[in-house]
Amino acid sequence: MMKQEFTVWFGKLRLDEEGGIMNCSLFDKDPEMLSKVVTSLQENVQSVPLKRPDLREAAIECGFVELEEDYDILLREVCIKAAKSQISRTDTDDARIIQAVEALDDIDKNVNELSERLFEWYGRYFPELDMTGEELARFVASYGSRANVPAEHKLFEKASSSMGSELSFADEELLRAIANNICSLYDTRRYIENYINTSMESVAPNLCNIAGAPLGARLMSMAGSLQKLAAFPSSTVQVIGASRALFKHLRSRAPSPKHGIIFNHPVIRNAPWWQRGKLARALAAKISLAARTDFYSGEIDRSIAEALERKLENIRQANAVAPKKEPHPKPHSREKGSKRKQGARNRKKGGKS
Amino acid sequence: MPVEDMHAGIHELDIGGRKVLATRNMMPGMSVYGERLIVEDDVEYRQWDPGRSKLGAMVLKNFDIPIEPDSAVLYLGAASGTTVSHVSDMLTDGLVYAVEFSPRTMRDLIQLCDQRPNIIPILADANKPHSYAHIVEKVDVIYQDVAQPNQAEIAALNSKYFLADHGHLMLSIKSRSIDTVASPKKIFKEEVRKLENGFDIELEVLERKELDPFHEDHLGVLARLFVEDEQ
Repeated sequence: MMKQEFTVWFGKLRLDEEGGIMNCSLFDKDPEMLSKVVTSLQENVQSVPLKRPDLREAAIECGFVELEEDYDILLREVCIKAAKSQISRTDTDDARIIQAVEALDDIDKNVNELSERLFEWYGRYFPELDMTGEELARFVASYGSRANVPAEHKLFEKASSSMGSELSFADEELLRAIANNICSLYDTRRYIENYINTSMESVAPNLCNIAGAPLGARLMSMAGSLQKLAAFPSSTVQVIGASRALFKHLRSRAPSPKHGIIFNHPVIRNAPWWQRGKLARALAAKISLAARTDFYSGEIDRSIAEALERKLENIRQANAVAPKKEPHPKPHSREKGSKRKQGARNRKKGGKS
Repeated sequence: MPVEDMHAGIHELDIGGRKVLATRNMMPGMSVYGERLIVEDDVEYRQWDPGRSKLGAMVLKNFDIPIEPDSAVLYLGAASGTTVSHVSDMLTDGLVYAVEFSPRTMRDLIQLCDQRPNIIPILADANKPHSYAHIVEKVDVIYQDVAQPNQAEIAALNSKYFLADHGHLMLSIKSRSIDTVASPKKIFKEEVRKLENGFDIELEVLERKELDPFHEDHLGVLARLFVEDEQ
């Protein structure tokens, strides 16, 4: 005789081999407690007998509820509670960092657009002003019209002899408002950067140590979570962010990308072109090791950084001289496609004007 | 007569000569995802856009919809609950178990469950029926819209665990989520073959129609669990 245990949301059932209920021990009708049972059974999956009783019938047979409506009402309450608690648990520390990284990108995009607009607009009134970006925004925010530039300012000369037109009061107010907004976006940007730096140190100290906080956070954001980044093979980490080049390589005979987003790491960016692929491979290996250590143990492991430094030094020494046989010493083939495209676009534009 | 009943709970309204698919609103006054509410003879209907819902498209493609007012339905791939809300409308005396894997979309679905009494939300992977077998009873209908490469397998597995005798399985197969380059016709044929013979469960495909023009490269399938009559 084979007996099987099968735990359901309202109790523990003991079944005979035909799936009939031999006995059942019911849980209390406490939605809070039942929702915990439901979630824990979802996470620690039990083996489910194929021959088993229908849950609704079993609940009534065992006397858990009397009416079908009661079954519906209680089950609904329990499942909503369970789903809500599961959702709130998905808001992890790395999810917050990823939101911050994405907010950073949004700000960059918007601040660039607004700065360009300010540059064009304000340029009509003070074309000699040789400023862009934050510098320009701060200038406009503090002075407004060029008539307000004080005599001791180094730009006074330029401002008073400018060929730009006069700025009306209404326009000045408007431009100042835009400039103030840009300045505050730049402030927010710094604030977010600090947030990422400090939270990376606590959430992923090893990743932060090997890749640096901004790059580590960006890798997490592109992978989707720290868990996913930890699960990636290091060859994937090496080319995250170079998906276009990677698929081009897989589809056609294009060369494989040597590095994706990890190019932003100074170790690779500052290296001579012939070492970059090798360094990227070593760096990616240690980054994924660091991500795994962070996700699974959470403790700081200094040996990763030391091993990386030794490896990098070996690569540098073994490849100190540029190889000669490269016909086109392009630093990274990844850019080939996009560069050509950009060039074509620019040429077209140039031809028209 | 401007309101035509297409099936229990599914109606076709005639609004100035334009035919509009709709379900009778279970929660009058509430629009779930910004759809239009139409009152006709003191009854409120919610417009159902077949371009946004594969089930809606299947209704217009004259599938014999197996969902009855008192059915228990297992809905795999509930997403934010656009279609689930219409299924909920149909089930005046039934229950829908809405399984969704992504916590982000589950957030929207839960808001819907809070409003409506007949939706049970389950945050789980439809690939693993084990992980919700302690919640879901035997159901009359499984509706699946998961757009996964192994969706025939998912459908068969869930049918094996949860479909009652003579219960129905409805699914929409998205060819591009199985193979982006192969011809849809070929994929559909293969998937239907898999459903009928590929797994250790006997499913009998009753209807199959492509869901264009509402959804490109989608096939709607209606199947029934085959049970040998016991004497």
